[in-house]
Order: sequence, then C-alpha cells, then structure tokens
Amino acid sequence: MFETSLCQILFYLLAVVAILCAAGVVGFRSPINSAMSMALCFAMVAIIFFGMGAQFLGIVQCIVYAGAILVLFLFVVMMLDIHGEEHSRGSYIHAAVGMLIAGFVAGLLIKAALDLPGAKDNTCPAITLCESAGELLIGEARQVKEAPAAAPQYGGCLPELSAAAAARLENPAISEADAAKATSIPDVKLLGQCLYTRYNIPFVILSFALLAGTVGAVALARKIRKD
Amino acid sequence: MDAIINWYNDLMSHEIWFYLIHTLLKLVLMFAVILAFVVLSVWIERRVAGWIQDRPGPNRAGIPLFLLQRFGSKEKQPLKNWLHFFGIPETSWIARLCTWLRLDREFPCWGLIQPCLDGGKLFLKQETTPSYVRKFYFILAPMLVLGPPMVAAAVIPFASEVNTCYGHISMCVANLDIGPLWIFAISGLSVYGLTLAGWSSNSKFPFLGGLRATAQLISYEVAMGLSVIPLLMMFGTLNLQQIVQFQADNGWTLLPLWGEGLSWQRWAMMLPLGISFIVFVTCVFAEANRTPFDMAECETDLVAGYHAEYSSMKFASFFMGEYAAMVIGSAVVVTLFLGGWSIGFGADAALAAYSEWLAVLCQLCMFIVKLLAFIVFFVWVRWTLPRFRWDQVMKLGWLYFLEIAVANIFLTAAVLYFVK
Repeated sequence: MFETSLCQILFYLLAVVAILCAAGVVGFRSPINSAMSMALCFAMVAIIFFGMGAQFLGIVQCIVYAGAILVLFLFVVMMLDIHGEEHSRGSYIHAAVGMLIAGFVAGLLIKAALDLPGAKDNTCPAITLCESAGELLIGEARQVKEAPAAAPQYGGCLPELSAAAAARLENPAISEADAAKATSIPDVKLLGQCLYTRYNIPFVILSFALLAGTVGAVALARKIRKD
Repeated sequence: MDAIINWYNDLMSHEIWFYLIHTLLKLVLMFAVILAFVVLSVWIERRVAGWIQDRPGPNRAGIPLFLLQRFGSKEKQPLKNWLHFFGIPETSWIARLCTWLRLDREFPCWGLIQPCLDGGKLFLKQETTPSYVRKFYFILAPMLVLGPPMVAAAVIPFASEVNTCYGHISMCVANLDIGPLWIFAISGLSVYGLTLAGWSSNSKFPFLGGLRATAQLISYEVAMGLSVIPLLMMFGTLNLQQIVQFQADNGWTLLPLWGEGLSWQRWAMMLPLGISFIVFVTCVFAEANRTPFDMAECETDLVAGYHAEYSSMKFASFFMGEYAAMVIGSAVVVTLFLGGWSIGFGADAALAAYSEWLAVLCQLCMFIVKLLAFIVFFVWVRWTLPRFRWDQVMKLGWLYFLEIAVANIFLTAAVLYFVK
C-alpha cells in the first residue's frame, strides 16, 4: 500500500518535472539553458525507469544520453555565439513546420501505444504482448494492476523464470518480501535475450546504420591534405 | 525501559521502518567514510610526495599542547611540568621518548591536522566572484563536480551480508543489479561540472580547460566501460555484492589462490583479466583527472584550467571532487579486481560461521586497508610519471585503449569458449 502510493506520487512528480524540462528545451532563449534542461529531462526519465524497476534501461539512459550525447551537445553549443543566438528570433514558418513534424511524430507514437495489445483495458502492454505471443510473463501481477496505465512494468520473456512468474500470477496474495524481490527483475538478461533472439535482425541492421553514420561523419570531418 | 525496548522491537520488525533505518545508517557511514577519506587522501598525497622527493612533507601540524599554558601552566612546555609532577628526571628514557614523539610541543598526529587546517583556511578565505561570469552555472558547477562521486559510491559493497533477527542486511547502501554501470553513469555526470565551470567562467583559459576535461573524460569512459566487460563475462552478474562474494569464495580476480581459483581454467583467464586491469586502472586515472592525465589543469599550457576563476570553498570543492573521484575509483578497482571486502584464503566463510558481525567488522577493516593501499599507489603514480601531451592523451585513449579493450572482449570470449 505504502509502496504503491509512494511510487505513484513519485512517478507523477517526476513526469511533471520531465515535461516542464522538455518545454524548457524549446522555450529557453539561451542554447545552454536548453541543453541543460534537456539533460535534466533525460535524468528524470531515467529515474522514472528506475521507479518501474527497469534499472538497466534507466542507467543506459544516463550513460548514453545524459553522460555522452548531451555533453557533446553542450560542447558544441558552448562554442557558438551565445549572444547572437539569444537575440535572434525564429520565423513563424519555421515554427509551423516544426509543429507539423512534431505533431506527426507524436501521432505516430500515440497510435503505436494504443495499438499495443492490452492498452485499452488498462493492463500492461508489454506483458500482454508477451502473453499474446504465447509466452509467460515476468513481473508481478498485483503491481501491474495497481500501476498507472502510463507506467508499464517492464515485461520481457525469459523462459527459465516463467514458471515462478506463473506461480505468482495464480496466487495474488503475495507477501511483501516477495513483492520486493519482484521489483528487481533481471532486466539485463531479459533485454539481452529479447534483443539477440527475437529482434536480432533489426538490431543488427540498426547497428549497421549507426556504423554508416559514424563513418560518414568521420569522412565529412576529415580534412583531405593535398600535399 | 521496557517500553523503549518494546517500541524499538515494534519499529524494527516493521519491514519498511527496518529498511529505512538500516539504509540511513549505511548511508551516513558511507558518506562519512568517503569524506574522511577525501581529507585523508590529501594528507597521504602530501606525505608520499614528500617521501618521493626526499623532504618531510606536512609532518608537524598536531594538536598544539602549548595551548595548555592558558589553563594554569606557566611553563612554556607542558611536558616539563608533567615530568616534574611525577618526579621523572629530564634525561630519563621516558622524557626522551616523549620528546621524540614531539609531546613537548604538541600532541603527535603526524601532520594529520594539516588537511583540517587547510580546509578551515579555505572556508575563511575571501570569496571573489568575478563580475563577468555566468552566475548561475558558475555556482552550479562545483556542486556538479563534488556530488556525483558521492552518489556513485552507493553501490560499492563494504562488507558482506548479515542476518539479524529483524531481517537481512546487505552491507552496501543500494544493492543494485547494475553496480558497475551505475558507477560509470553517475561519475560520468561530473563532466557537466567541469564543462560548465570552464564555460561559465567566461574567460579563455578556463574554457580551454573545460573543453579538454570534457573530451578526455568522454574518451576514456568508452575504453573504461569496454574494459570491464571481460570481467562481467566471467562473473555473469552485474551485482557488485555477488561479484565480491564470488571472489571471496573462489579467489580474487587477480589472485586466484583458493577455492575454484586453483583450477587451470581460471588461470587461463588471467591474460584477458590482466589486460583489462591495466586498461581499467589507466582509465580510472584519466577519469579522476590525475597527473599523467591532468590535462584540464595543466599549468604550463593553461593558467590553472577550468577553476582559474574560482576562489575559496568553491575552488576547494573542485579539489574535493577530484579526490572523491580518486577514492571512488580506487574503491571500484579494489571491488572488481582485488576482492573488495573479502579477507581471502577462505577466511570469510570461516569468520562468518563463527560470528557474522565479527566477519563484517573484519571485512570493513580489510576493505579500508585495501582502499588505502590503492590510494597510496594512485599517489605514487602521480609523483612518478610526467604529464602526457594533449595529443598523446587522445591517441592513447582512442587508438590504443579502445582497440585493446575491444580485442580483449573477443579474447575473453575465445578463452571462455575453448577452456570451459
């Protein structure tokens, strides 16, 4: 009781801060302020991941986005002419085009979220996805029912643990200690197994796309000496 | 009395209160130990530097006993009063021993008071904030340097586990399943502090220092993350408490002399593990901005680096951050490669069978001893190796360490595949 309500309060609090920060990214005049509020936004999302028990996702968010990519952003932004940037005004056409693109992406995301199995009857989409695929789920039934709809427990598929999870599902009266154990899902293993078995081919294709991007960036940045 | 005991029992048997109380206690302990170590490592640094350069270093500052003359003693040296009081001649061995221990002047602390006095001095110094700085980020930056290493320490286990009558206590603040990643992620955030300090100072040399710090930290983070992967492949877990438990049972990573560690399969792993140890330790040096890699505060090219415009306690907090990063880096190396809290040679299990609390106490002492030894090593390296040139730092990080770390992962996979 205590835990769930605290988790919900924290979730909404963090979500509000994350949204405010995201608004700040667009709203701030100074690019440094924008970059820093983006970092804060990433940190909030990472904490939300932590709250849901997806520790690995949270920490990866921290390492990759907040720790590396955004620092590079900051790095570049600092070398810009801040004062010129602060006094410039964007045109309305730019804003309109930007809103159009943002609306399109947001629509896609909402559509994708609503299309997930189980999204409408307030159950966790990821877990229902696993069930519909004929696999047993990981996670804790009671928590899933009480968790806010927007905060799905991370559910993956791990054959070895499915028996225990099924037993927990059948028996909703679970002691507090078991619930505490259930919050620490071996999500590194789950994620690894999902990525390298079911989504192996998209994963490899994506990494090749990233590699191509890196090679392209190096080719563009390299000065060709003619001597 | 009974009411208090009953109340205590009720409180501790409530699961949430029990969790909150023991976590809070561990948190305070961890925080206090780290802050104490920050102070201590400043002293170690100066003493070791003194030894290496053949000079005494800060060996004098002690609790001055001449203050006692305020309280009734007319003699300049209170030692003489004491000797007269007990009727001991001034030429006896007791008197000479006391003089040798510097008891005639002050309470001997081997100069341990020195860092405290330095801290006090920095607190009392005038704080000047130049008028041209970007104020908000100028104030934020030192916090962002000092904070992350403290938070990163949360996952480091400092002793094994204890079963009390109220429940199970694991002797680390947060027993997360992503231990090493947590440390990399959180201590990586101190980049923001250095960058913002350089930028917000709004002057050229600090800015260059900030840029250098950012580039260096990001570069070495990559190699550091890749260099621990062989270790994680061997342990098969990311939980630091389990990793140390494994080392306690089966031999430390670099000293497999008991348990399963005596098998030749384990010794075949020594080659990749040795490589990853060297890469990891070098990267820890680079991450802590310590001397072969202290490009960001290189006095010869940049006046002082990113903290040139800072004064007083803000300046000190950059140094505290650096030393805290050094302490945490040492703790991580000790945890991953040198057995963490484990006493070794199977002594942990024997002690735990005798008394769990005694085992925990011994393990805590062992962890602190190992930590101190590694900090001395850190300092030793600093006063032995000259500083790299900037292009050498970048070349080492990207051209050598990244390749070595990636090749090492494949080597480990091959060893694991063919040997086990």
